Amino acid sequence: MALKDFRAMMERDSYCNSCKWIPYDKIRSQRFAENCPTNLYYQFHLYSVRGKWQAAQTYLDTQEGTLGKDPLIKQYGYDFNSSPDFLESVQSCTTCGSCDVSCKVCRFNLEPLAFNIELKNEAILRGFVLPQQKEAIEALKKEQTLITGVKKADRQAWAKGINFAADAETVFFPGCKYSYDPELQAYARKAAETLINAGVKLGFMGDADMCCAGRAYQQGFYDEFNARADANIKAFQAKGVKTIVTPCADCYHAFKRLYAARGLNVKVLHLVEYLDELIKSGDLKFTKNVDMVVTYHDPCHLGRQGEPYVAWNGTEKKIMHQVHTWDPPRPRYNGAHGIYDAPRDVIKSIPGVKLVEMERIREYALCCGAGANTQVNFPEFSAATASERVTEANTTGADALVTACPWCEANFKNAVDENGNKIDVIDIIDLVARAL
Amino acid sequence: MAFNQEAYKELELIVGKRYVTQDIAERECYRSIMAESSAHSGPFDGETPIPGAVILPGSTEEVQAIVKVCNKYDIHFKACTTFWSVMGFVGDEDSLQIDMKRMKKMEFHERDQYVIVEPYCIGAVVQVEAMKRGFNVNMAGVGCSSSTLAGASSWVAFGPSSCFMGVASENFLAVEWVLPNGEILRTGSLGSGGDWFCGEGPGPSTRAILRGTQGTAGSFGVCTRLAVRLHPWPGPTVLPSYGTIPAYKLVPQWNIKTYTLNFPDWDGYANTINYLSQNQDIAYLGHRQYNMWGRYIKLAMIKMLLDPDGQLADVPKYMEDPFIKEQTEKCRIDLQVVIVGMTKRDMEWKEKAIDEILRRVNGWKNEFMLQPEVQDWVALYLLRLGHKNLNYTLCSSYEGSGGLSNNVFVTSQVMEEYHQLREEFDKTHNGLAATGGDSEMGALSTLGGGGITGYEFFQWFDRHDRSSIDDCRDFIQNYSQKLCDKYGFGTDMGNWNNTARHPDTGYYYTQEEQNEMFAGAPQPYLFTYQFLIKKAFNPKDLCGSYYRTLDPACLKK
Repeated sequence: MALKDFRAMMERDSYCNSCKWIPYDKIRSQRFAENCPTNLYYQFHLYSVRGKWQAAQTYLDTQEGTLGKDPLIKQYGYDFNSSPDFLESVQSCTTCGSCDVSCKVCRFNLEPLAFNIELKNEAILRGFVLPQQKEAIEALKKEQTLITGVKKADRQAWAKGINFAADAETVFFPGCKYSYDPELQAYARKAAETLINAGVKLGFMGDADMCCAGRAYQQGFYDEFNARADANIKAFQAKGVKTIVTPCADCYHAFKRLYAARGLNVKVLHLVEYLDELIKSGDLKFTKNVDMVVTYHDPCHLGRQGEPYVAWNGTEKKIMHQVHTWDPPRPRYNGAHGIYDAPRDVIKSIPGVKLVEMERIREYALCCGAGANTQVNFPEFSAATASERVTEANTTGADALVTACPWCEANFKNAVDENGNKIDVIDIIDLVARAL
Repeated sequence: MAFNQEAYKELELIVGKRYVTQDIAERECYRSIMAESSAHSGPFDGETPIPGAVILPGSTEEVQAIVKVCNKYDIHFKACTTFWSVMGFVGDEDSLQIDMKRMKKMEFHERDQYVIVEPYCIGAVVQVEAMKRGFNVNMAGVGCSSSTLAGASSWVAFGPSSCFMGVASENFLAVEWVLPNGEILRTGSLGSGGDWFCGEGPGPSTRAILRGTQGTAGSFGVCTRLAVRLHPWPGPTVLPSYGTIPAYKLVPQWNIKTYTLNFPDWDGYANTINYLSQNQDIAYLGHRQYNMWGRYIKLAMIKMLLDPDGQLADVPKYMEDPFIKEQTEKCRIDLQVVIVGMTKRDMEWKEKAIDEILRRVNGWKNEFMLQPEVQDWVALYLLRLGHKNLNYTLCSSYEGSGGLSNNVFVTSQVMEEYHQLREEFDKTHNGLAATGGDSEMGALSTLGGGGITGYEFFQWFDRHDRSSIDDCRDFIQNYSQKLCDKYGFGTDMGNWNNTARHPDTGYYYTQEEQNEMFAGAPQPYLFTYQFLIKKAFNPKDLCGSYYRTLDPACLKK
């Protein structure tokens, strides 16, 4: 789709502002009732999908030369040059999809998340690319990663000495963050070893292990994503991969949803799903107590965006004169089928661990602030979002905040809450490993 | 013309550069597109003008300073928070839009049973915090996403809970009010240095000025803080829910029950409302809610919404289900009630009272709606009132037609005529969703035990479809309004805010135009009274034209 294809949605949006709140039925306190990271930080309407639905209409009118179609209303054309705030509202969106979930409690004909990403692509097509984004995309082309300042040659350092099976149909895909971040590499190693020790015949892509480019897609770099995705799909096919296991929520989403739409036909599992299976089948047994109270953060791309891809090619069809439907029915993608229970079941199965919940959880969890690379592109905003989440985590009284995404983890590790307090941030791999 | 830059510099000094903007796209977002909010105004694809600047104050003192700047430079201003109604938006270009989003403090006074709220305390969060303390608040029919302060101070704001808790004007206590000239007026008990417990006094009462029945429609300065009553809530301190999105449901509670009452005729409906209005302890909530989707599809819609993968395309299939078909036919005339027991005996008495009312009117409880998961869904829906966006579900836009009356025995008698009117319209027009003719929604709302009854017929249209917009306008202006005229109901709801902008020129209405409009009104003295109030409190006319006035000199002899 192009931005102009969202015109009907822009006009069919309403001023309900549900996109700024978690589903109203789920609100438990005023303090943790709001959901949109950009709206929480910037405050103005424009920094919400409601604002952007409206702003984009006049933006499109400007581009298409249709300003003044209503002779009674003065329209003032603008683009990303003349409205720097519009550009920032587009670029700073973390694409967490929380607005999408809240909207779809009631609406069936709006796709806020897809629209937010489309706006990012529009900015790129018009040449509005942040210096940090340029650097990251150059790194993607040169070193096959969006992380800058690292070399492809160092990508497999974490895997040294691990006994991967050369002919395995199940491959472990750590993703860039686990591969390069010195603080996280050990967890990639622990994850692979845990699976192998539990009897999984596990392979690795080796030299063909490269960036999934999901975070390029989140920023609107469609062409770069497509090129990387197609190359990776070919590599998976060449190796005869049947199952991909990844500990990274962004890679999971890329493979499960975005690659599937481009023809990847393999089983995709997040590590927590596989661990949950192994624990429930008895192939993974805990031997130690971990006396700890923890709270769990649902990563956006594993939780609400972790729903399986459903192929759809249809058209709008009005019934009863004006009621909007699609023929055939269109997938909802409202977060109903995200991955929420597997990580919780893993945590709860660890002897001694007590799980306490935050208020914003599951499909209406608050973003960590690192989506769409905002921790690099808009660090102050990203830190404020992480701080908001750590504040929420600390109100639970938990000893630690557990998550299943390296991007969330890294963002939380640098964050302090509104009272200046930190919280221990634990990778779910590490939590499991402590009990083995 | 452009926004006064000297004034802008002063505004920057008040709130800091971060919270005021002239960015063009930022301002564009503060324009009402009337098909996208509760407009009650044709033409439904109309828009309000773009403001010259937008500012986000953080305190009453900042609001006062902003209003003084507006007075100094003669800048029109409008304060709003949740922007549900066209009245919250500025009425002309180069005006200042004051977005009250940063002001969201709440202060509970449990002993005296009230809460002081700032503008961005939406109904949901006020309710959530009240329930933790064993209380609840009246939720305006607009839903929990709207500002409690805005409803209580500036508009009608009755809702399903008003049968138990009263309408906005009955919940409104002391107010901190930045007048249009920038002075701060503290009303009622607050005005004499006391607390916030009373709107009337000791101290200045402004009930007949600021409040009345309809409120001032946001056209009289800025209410920055306001106290509203708290009401008993014997339920859990947090509404526990289960179910998968979007079918969130209330975990069953022994003392909360929902029923959909059905009636063989409209007399039964009216008598039931009368019983519940005169015996306000029976129903905690009362609303004809789900009929808004249309008489023929309402139960099929609920069935679809209970399925996380449900689609609007499933609705026709569900309509063919024999059980749903039978129950929908039985549900033609319906009313949802929620009863909440304060004690076990109280619960038993309320159950008996509902049964007795049904016996007297030959009514019954709808069996589809008695299914446990439906009851749980309805309970959460009505208690939280968090599904406002379902007003847009069918085809993206709606307009309410019909209006208000003080007599349910009168309004209920026009329902079938209205139903027939829409049915006939749908035979020759394709622009409105044809879902059952009768798409009336109305709260069991009463003022002081028997005042206002809403009867709002939802007209569903598609803003993206020109012919659909035209049909909506056609229906309201040429069909619905005529029915209102026939029965003396006054202006059709779909035309209430037609002063948002002229149908052919300009934006809002001048005093001369208002004189022309209201000189022949059935109750013109209301508007002459408001003229005098406006002259005293808002002489520079800085806050928009939604406050209707008539110059006494123009009264028809």
